[in-house]
Amino acid sequence: MKKMLAIAAASMLWLSSTVAHADVVKVGLIADFTGAFATWGPQFQQAIQAFHAVNGTTVKGPDGKTHEIQVVYRDAASQGPDKAKQLAEELVLREKVKFLAGFDLSPHAMAVAEIATQAKVPVIIMNAATASIVRGSPYYVRVSMTIPQQSVPLADWAWKNGIKKVYTLVSDYGPGLDAETYFSKQFKANGGEILGSARSPQQETNYAAYMEKVLQAKPDALFMFQPAGAPSIALVKAYVERGLKNAGIKLLGSGETQELFLPNFTDDVIGVVTAFHYTETNTNPENTALRAQLVKMFGEKATPDIASIAAWDGMNLIHQSIAALGPKADGIKYVDFMKGKTLRSPRGPIMIDPDEREIIQNMYIRRVEKRDGKLVNVDIDTIPMVKDPWKADNPLKK
Amino acid sequence: MLSFALTILLDGLSYGMVLFIISVGLTITMGLMRIVNLAHGSFAMIGGYVAGYLTQNGVDFYLACVAAAVAGGVLGGLAEVTLYRPLYRKGDLAQVLLTIGLVFVATAAITEIFGAFPFPVQFPAYLTQPVDIGFRTYPAYRLFLIAVGAVIAIGLWYMIENSLFGARLRAGVDNARMARAVGMNVSLMFTVTFVGGCALAGLGGALGAGILALEPSYALKYLVLFLIVVIVGGEGSFKGSFVAAMALGIIDTIGKYFFTEAASYMLYIAVFILLLIRPKGLVPAKSVL
Repeated sequence: MKKMLAIAAASMLWLSSTVAHADVVKVGLIADFTGAFATWGPQFQQAIQAFHAVNGTTVKGPDGKTHEIQVVYRDAASQGPDKAKQLAEELVLREKVKFLAGFDLSPHAMAVAEIATQAKVPVIIMNAATASIVRGSPYYVRVSMTIPQQSVPLADWAWKNGIKKVYTLVSDYGPGLDAETYFSKQFKANGGEILGSARSPQQETNYAAYMEKVLQAKPDALFMFQPAGAPSIALVKAYVERGLKNAGIKLLGSGETQELFLPNFTDDVIGVVTAFHYTETNTNPENTALRAQLVKMFGEKATPDIASIAAWDGMNLIHQSIAALGPKADGIKYVDFMKGKTLRSPRGPIMIDPDEREIIQNMYIRRVEKRDGKLVNVDIDTIPMVKDPWKADNPLKK
Repeated sequence: MLSFALTILLDGLSYGMVLFIISVGLTITMGLMRIVNLAHGSFAMIGGYVAGYLTQNGVDFYLACVAAAVAGGVLGGLAEVTLYRPLYRKGDLAQVLLTIGLVFVATAAITEIFGAFPFPVQFPAYLTQPVDIGFRTYPAYRLFLIAVGAVIAIGLWYMIENSLFGARLRAGVDNARMARAVGMNVSLMFTVTFVGGCALAGLGGALGAGILALEPSYALKYLVLFLIVVIVGGEGSFKGSFVAAMALGIIDTIGKYFFTEAASYMLYIAVFILLLIRPKGLVPAKSVL
């Protein structure tokens, strides 16, 4: 590995000495473009293309020279961490990328820690939300979110708004368990009561039995954490069909009601309250620009989502660091530049935590409503600049 | 307590009916030709997408269901004649490879045409509401599934038990070589059965979209369920597939209700135990069908 990297470095030196004109800085993006998680790759790619259309693909470095930013896309094909690792090696060794980016799934992001550290390549995580990931390598920088970042503010909001008893129903995988743990902990700390905690298989779409249990427990609200898509749609359907909505049990969640998925819901979904880091219809100028550009390039149906904003912000960070440090800086220098950086994201203000390289951002409490015949999320509260609670529970060892 | 038991029964039956409608074709074709058709779920998926596309564009739900069955049947027939026939003598491995390949083709095609996001079927408004059934309110949709499933099951049972085609079919499943020897056209019978099975799968994909949600990974995701129905019921056994589908629907519901922590593997434990007791299936074809 080391020898190969040395050869790679040597050949890069040779290349740069023979090419006189402006440098091309390559960014390797790894995401799923096919297979079960195929929604992520295209959303990343379209947002990056929109970013480049608005801001240009070139950056003026500190020396006044213009450098071109080129993104090399690789499809992890929903094949798991080994595939992601292999693609990262290929991008670093053969394509000689200066940055890695993308990563919709946590295992994919975790798999490239060693490569990033050895090759000194910053990794911009654009989704993978397992709280601990950024501790895996000093080269990780996350621009998406963590699960506790959403669950904790939601538990506070619920308590403040008269919800005293909650039943939790989460999908039985890492993020679901994180959501259950952090929501329950915070809600109990406030004085609330958790009446029961159920876990459903990851691909569950038959929620009848769970809803019966919840109905018998008679909570004020049901807290869900389900993968966006088929499972969450089925859950909301069962919630209405089984009479929970009529019984006055509120439904709380996080990413289940993203705008991208709302057209799949019936009006049953109206009234669901979620805590999330991005409300797609907000009127920040960055958001308006992103949305307009996506529609212009990819048609009326193009809808920005959390993948789009993370890709947008990630590219923004990369452009800014090259503008500040030029195309040939040491990997760790780029990371140092990003630490403590504040950005105006389409989602609102964000900051990279200087100690943890983790995103700090507002949490928006939204309720699904119908406006002009369309289902939309409407902000009803904002919790400013939330740090990841997991990090506070698991402090860095000094 | 009684109302509670009834609720579990209704939940289990409605889920089981969907599994039955989709799987019954697979059971019969597997019993008849001993072909391992892993692509069966693709026909259900395609039927579901056809119904989804039509209902989203304002076509009547029941008409869309007919279209779903036709789409499943026509594609199934084409696939049988062009792809499956050369495979019958090629052995299990070739069958598994080709049919699982078809699953990937169907998944990619659906993603390309309809996108990777979940795809809804628009049910008529009266099916999406809870109705009062005396001791509680209950989703109309699930009652509808039980009714349709029962009608299909009784119709199929009558056809298999009482018609000439049914008698030939039973003979073919019992002993295909002997059936050929006495002059029956088993290949033609198989094609007809295959088309019928795929049409039912397409219909099941459309009707059951409220329980087995439509998405491009459908054909692979629920394949295990369909195969379990076949294996637990007994290959080639019509009655077996009905009993197995109902049993699995009810076991799954009970598991989720009483053993929520273990819900992910309750079904598999049940299948394990059932197969330990009845390795040839609950109602093996040769003795009963």
